[in-house]
Amino acid sequence: MTTRAEFLGRVRAEMRKVGAPGPPAAPERPAHLGEAAAAVRREMSERWPEALVRFVQEFERVAGVFHRVATPAEVPGVIRAIARERGAREILTWAPAELGMDLGPPLGPELAVLPAPPGGGELDRLRHREEAARAGIGVTGADLALAETGTLVLLSGAGRPRSTSLLPETHVAVFGPGALVESLEQVGAILEALHVDPARSMSGAVINFITGPSRTADIELTLTRGVHGPKFVHAVFVDGLGGAPR
Amino acid sequence: MSEDLLRVPFPQRAGAALKDAFLQEALTIATTKFIDLRREAFEGFPQGDALRDRARGIKEATLQRLDHYLGLLADNVERLGGHVHWAATGEEAREIVLRLCRDRGVRMAVKSKSMATEEIDLNEALEHAGVTPIETDLGEYIIQLAHEKPSHIIAPAIHKTKGQVAELFSRELSGRFAADPEVLTAVARKELRQKFLQADLGITGANFAVAETGTLVLVTNEGNGRMVTSLPRLHVAVMGMEKVIPTMTDLVVFLSILAKSATGQKLSSYTTLVRGPRQPGELEGPEHFHLILLDSGRVRQIGGPLREALYCLRCGACLNVCPVYRQIGGHAYGHTYPGPIGILLTAMLKGTDSVKDLAHASSLCGACKDVCPVRIDIPRMLVELREQVAHEHVAPVAERMLFRAAGRLMASPALFRLGARAGRLFQRPFTRGGKLRSLPLFFGRWTATRDLPPVAPRTFSERWDELDGPKR
Repeated sequence: MTTRAEFLGRVRAEMRKVGAPGPPAAPERPAHLGEAAAAVRREMSERWPEALVRFVQEFERVAGVFHRVATPAEVPGVIRAIARERGAREILTWAPAELGMDLGPPLGPELAVLPAPPGGGELDRLRHREEAARAGIGVTGADLALAETGTLVLLSGAGRPRSTSLLPETHVAVFGPGALVESLEQVGAILEALHVDPARSMSGAVINFITGPSRTADIELTLTRGVHGPKFVHAVFVDGLGGAPR
Repeated sequence: MSEDLLRVPFPQRAGAALKDAFLQEALTIATTKFIDLRREAFEGFPQGDALRDRARGIKEATLQRLDHYLGLLADNVERLGGHVHWAATGEEAREIVLRLCRDRGVRMAVKSKSMATEEIDLNEALEHAGVTPIETDLGEYIIQLAHEKPSHIIAPAIHKTKGQVAELFSRELSGRFAADPEVLTAVARKELRQKFLQADLGITGANFAVAETGTLVLVTNEGNGRMVTSLPRLHVAVMGMEKVIPTMTDLVVFLSILAKSATGQKLSSYTTLVRGPRQPGELEGPEHFHLILLDSGRVRQIGGPLREALYCLRCGACLNVCPVYRQIGGHAYGHTYPGPIGILLTAMLKGTDSVKDLAHASSLCGACKDVCPVRIDIPRMLVELREQVAHEHVAPVAERMLFRAAGRLMASPALFRLGARAGRLFQRPFTRGGKLRSLPLFFGRWTATRDLPPVAPRTFSERWDELDGPKR
């Protein structure tokens, strides 16, 4: 088998054919990554209402369903209506601490709310997998809502399983003004900061950009939704939802 | 790629495709739709051109210090608890995957769409080793059930009708399914959902890998890339070594043009950034993550004539606009990567020898270069490839003599004029309706499928001489 040294040795030998390699090019980005991300946050704390208008437009263009409520107390009502519409009985959610609300008391007992256990033990894991495979609705937060493309950005981690937004037929993302950004470029600045600033560092291994429902056009180019992931994606925007943005 | 297909020479493969009426219609509909979607996406995106230049610049800058970025990527993947393997050949890459399967007792593997594993014939190797590979991209799943090969980089099953898919599913999955994409998609969802939950191993490629953070990036529409990296206990990614990019800032530049070029979407439904195995506190994700960096002919092009082909993002835009691809489709090319870029990639991975016919399967119109998100100069490299083919594999004696004669003729004005006069004389018996329709001897092979314009009654140079006035 080839070793790292052999492989990179061949790469270097080829590079020398083109010319003596200089130092790696300095990346085209702000010098202070943490500050750049903070600047995006500052700008968006002013401009989020415009970004929201664009987000709704783009999110609906990719077949998302948008809801807006004033306070977190109104969120369970929105979810109950979605559950009724879809005939769903079981609601998988992120851990209440990560979601910013506990949906169990307001939705029970007619709906079974299945929050992700905050830990990661083997038993928790097995139970969660079974629940995720059978729940009809998955409720998550959204760390970013990207207006330019109607995209929800979700970071995985403790209490924020990847499959909440993947296995159920319907995904509902709940977020407030702090999640809104305008452009992919801004997302780039925030992603850079996530990886350099230990205080903001993410705990999980995965970041998902979700732009509308799962889709395919592999049979005669006919657009079909819900091939592996959710068939329906809802965004619930809560004006009064605070919480520290990432 | 199946050896049977390659035993038939390219002209016959292309000829068969041209006679396939369904394929012709499917290709026209699909490629026209992709072209329109791409154009609309870029029309509403004025910064697109500048971003394409930037993306190209990033690819070139990365190649200039590829050793550094590959080392950095490997360091970061390992820091996060992943394992990195270096594969000089496809065979080595397969061996690494098979060893992991043996060590971890893998019986079933779910795969998200990956051209790199297609390229190294991983499925066949897994089957021989007793591991069942399941393709989970709907298009790939269809052609796997049908024991066929993908015909388009991003729409692998465009050559099949919904009726054919319904028949296939009914036969393979025991049921009676209507020829309705909605129904058939639901069937695949149910079937594959079980496989995702049962499989021991998830296999992916990678659209990008960010060196500075050790992040693998998967772009999918169906969500299978997410399933495959979340549910099985082992994740193996096979990635061409040229997919590495330096930073997250660079990544968003590519994301902003990739889906627009491929399907006309602003972003694909899912862009998944994965760093290593499951982290502490996470309920899901693999216990082990392995990244296989693949050379297989790529490295020697860093200093070689196909260097620019290493920029390729595998978006498929050049296929859709290529007048040759639009006529013959992906299978006729006979290799993993079809279309204009596919000819270059085949030459890169399998050597110039394997493209001695394909190098000519281009009109050199340049449409591929125009739509390429990183502006790869495909026509230039195709011409160079033809030159190389001509030098190395010596065409038939008659062809060589003919070209040598033509060279002499065109180098001398007197001979050229004489030739034109002789041509006018000899072409007479073969000219019908103002075209040369059937020439004798081996020239007949040209006129069997094409008309040739005859030598003009008065050539341009003859008319030029008759003009009055100053000529320089």
